[in-house]
Amino acid sequence: MTHYMHGMERRSECVWEIPRAGGMRVPGRIYADDKLMELIRKEKAVDQVANVAHLNGIVGASLAMPDIHWGYGFPIGGVAATDPAQGGVISPGGVGYDINCGVRLITTALEREEIEDRIPRLVKALFRDVPCGLGSHGAIGKLSKKELEEVAVGGSEWAVRKGFGTKADLDHTEEGGRLRMADPSKVGPRAIERGRDQVGTLGSGNHFIEIDVVDEIFDEATAAAFRLRKGGIVIQIHSGSRGFGYQVCDDYLEVMQGAVSKYGITLPDRQLACAPVETPEGQRYLAAMACAANYAWANRQVMMALAKRSFAKTLCASEQKLGLSLLYDVCHNIAKLETHEVDGRPTTLCVHRKGATRAFPAGHPDVPDSYRSVGQPVLVPGDMGTHSYVCVGTDAAMRETFGSTCHGAGRVLSRSKAKKAAAGRNLEQELSKMGVFVMATGKRTLAEEMPDAYKNVTDVVGVMERAGIARQVARLTPLGVIKG
Amino acid sequence: MVERPTYDEIEHTADVGVALSAPDLRSAFELAAASMFDLMFDLDSIGSSWRREIRVEGREGDLENLLIRWLAELLFIFETERVLLSTFAVARLEDGVVEALVVGEPYDAARHAVKVEIKAATYHELTIEETDGGWTVRVIFDT
Repeated sequence: MTHYMHGMERRSECVWEIPRAGGMRVPGRIYADDKLMELIRKEKAVDQVANVAHLNGIVGASLAMPDIHWGYGFPIGGVAATDPAQGGVISPGGVGYDINCGVRLITTALEREEIEDRIPRLVKALFRDVPCGLGSHGAIGKLSKKELEEVAVGGSEWAVRKGFGTKADLDHTEEGGRLRMADPSKVGPRAIERGRDQVGTLGSGNHFIEIDVVDEIFDEATAAAFRLRKGGIVIQIHSGSRGFGYQVCDDYLEVMQGAVSKYGITLPDRQLACAPVETPEGQRYLAAMACAANYAWANRQVMMALAKRSFAKTLCASEQKLGLSLLYDVCHNIAKLETHEVDGRPTTLCVHRKGATRAFPAGHPDVPDSYRSVGQPVLVPGDMGTHSYVCVGTDAAMRETFGSTCHGAGRVLSRSKAKKAAAGRNLEQELSKMGVFVMATGKRTLAEEMPDAYKNVTDVVGVMERAGIARQVARLTPLGVIKG
Repeated sequence: MVERPTYDEIEHTADVGVALSAPDLRSAFELAAASMFDLMFDLDSIGSSWRREIRVEGREGDLENLLIRWLAELLFIFETERVLLSTFAVARLEDGVVEALVVGEPYDAARHAVKVEIKAATYHELTIEETDGGWTVRVIFDT
């Protein structure tokens, strides 16, 4: 049992609290039921929630979503909001290396019966048309430094200008696919160098493109607003800011190591290195992080265009006829300045979401017009053998979790344990028997990402629903997957 | 043919880490680098047609920082030059500076099977300790 677990108190069926102790400025709060808590107790994530509670200017509580697991610095599934006016900090470790790693969901006019027998062909075509795997590159040619700076400033808008998608896509992307505080002069030459030939590439690890069928609808009215219907085919794309984002994080962790001593900040873990938002270091990181976030949006926007072309070519039909249309794009590794109520007053906070998704409710001005009456779509990818969920943001999330909810199933097996569990098994065949056709660049990726390595996403989404911090709209089942 | 390095893999849910010991600090830095590439590829599949002398600077008096900078430099070479590294000979390690000869070969997807992508070496639970018989290092990578 780890240090902070002793004092943990249960507040309700799905909410646990780590009371303030030592240098903690606020309590920790974890969303989980008995079954998920049993998994959480096995690792060090609870201590990490408590460590985050030490950050200067943190407001409310250090939060953990039900998919929480042990990360580095912040736990994965962590949410922390700080108040810049009260010396609140921004921490690159609270965003992670893969800045604006996120997921988008594309709806289609296709029905399961129409394309079921062509899934292997579609998967092979995607695998050929979207560069994937370790260090994947060359989707759209190597960009010049100037072009890369345009990507960093323009995000999805840049991609649309270059013919990858339409303006309507921007309305259906968190922040319109562009953080306006981006300033490429705050990004180092190494990040530029790493990013030049990776726009439009999937990468490796848990990144994927998946063809799913909508197999259950929980909320008819919201599903209709999201253009989801039972039996309909949808496509998910999960990727981030590639080497560009990793390097921005690396460079600014270095800057923050200096800031920690300069501003006299004490931390329980060096990976939490940070600076007050309202300092030159904090502002520089925000501007550079925004560049990486924009890069990630451009990346997913280009990949979506490649995937659409791939579908059109394989199915010998136009993209219009196939009805390929972006439902929504969410980021799940980010820090953003947002307005939330603190002690009854609207306050600008720096909200870190590390493996967590924004979940704004109906009526919020940042939810696009087309969804404002129902709320922001929340995309929760599961593992490749079970399900993913489409949910919607709630008022309770706004009140309790700074408008945040979970981002996926959350790992439960370490990569080496997953590898051992996969030894001697033919995972491609197992998945194929479950009706999922998979292509991956490496067998080890497949082993590490196998369904057994993850918590049951249905349990995770169930906790969010019972706690009220997101509502289920529809369930997706995978038919075909490409992995890096 | 390069000999596979000896290290223990640390059990971590999301990521991957290594624990290793070496007779002196230079060899600890070399072994940390070798185990990082061995996690990504099998080290014994990497040849030696490419070589470069590199210099990495960290904060003076901050060994943890120097190790992270050293590993970051090697990942940067891999990603921007698409070169896999297999052999590391640290010639100088003092006052926040590492100088080393690094050897490897260009990445060839047909011959080099990828095991895992490492995004970065992290400070989380990082330790570099002098022991009776030499040095031990623990480092967790973001994958």
